[in-house]
Amino acid sequence: MGDNGTRDVVKKNGPIFRLKNGNYRIELADDHRQLLTQLVEQLRDSLTTTTDDANLRRLFPTAYNNDAKKDAEYQRLMRDELLESRLAAIDVTIKVIAQDDEINAEEIDAFARSINSLRLVLGTTLDIAESDYGSQSDAQQSENSDGDGASRADEYLIQKELYEYLGWLLEWTVGAQSSGL
Amino acid sequence: MNEFTFASSQPGQVQEIDQQDETKSDRPWIVIVWNDPINLMSYVTFVFQKLFGYSLEKATELMLDVHHKGRAVVSSGSRERAEFDVYRLHEHGLWATMEHETL
Repeated sequence: MGDNGTRDVVKKNGPIFRLKNGNYRIELADDHRQLLTQLVEQLRDSLTTTTDDANLRRLFPTAYNNDAKKDAEYQRLMRDELLESRLAAIDVTIKVIAQDDEINAEEIDAFARSINSLRLVLGTTLDIAESDYGSQSDAQQSENSDGDGASRADEYLIQKELYEYLGWLLEWTVGAQSSGL
Repeated sequence: MNEFTFASSQPGQVQEIDQQDETKSDRPWIVIVWNDPINLMSYVTFVFQKLFGYSLEKATELMLDVHHKGRAVVSSGSRERAEFDVYRLHEHGLWATMEHETL
């Protein structure tokens, strides 16, 4: 495993950055890597079990808004291909997370798409809306908690925290990728 | 594949429907990206740059149209080209659809 000194780095002020040779590097603590691996593997399990889960609907959008017949034909031809593409990206992502070496443009692209897929699923589960940004809905969740409500509120807050963590990670990923355009 | 509906045996009327269909099929397909509350603005901008080769300024303008107006047309062309673009946008998690450009 090579050590990348600052001379080889285009810009480094976060956990994901581009190197002068065009590759990228992801520096995450071990517990973050374990968490991401767990989340990505859960997504893979969900996708290989069924793609009809309502929480996965954002991963398989309609293509023809105004034509159900054309959309059915499109989905018949493309849905499996889209699923394969997502699973392939997940496989690459799991390898990327497990290692500490440089990764290339294709690998960071797969990583970005998988992180974004996780956000789409978590965001759908949390029923994220445009007006949800900020702490008000989180505070409401906490206020309404007692008994079973407490565990539901805790689960909501954990998922929301994960959602925000994935957003933070994706921002750094996009920042690194954009510096290579 | 175009579908023709022969509503009448009158040659003139058949011709009219034929022309309407032809006119529609001649119109380009447009690819629309819709606003959603989950995708990051920076990510959407980057995807536009990456997939369509748009400058940062153009990609940002389209992203802001999506965010503020609810939708933006990001590409246009043949049906095959539009389906390809929609697929790539879906691969990246964006909510994209396609339709014939309205006159």
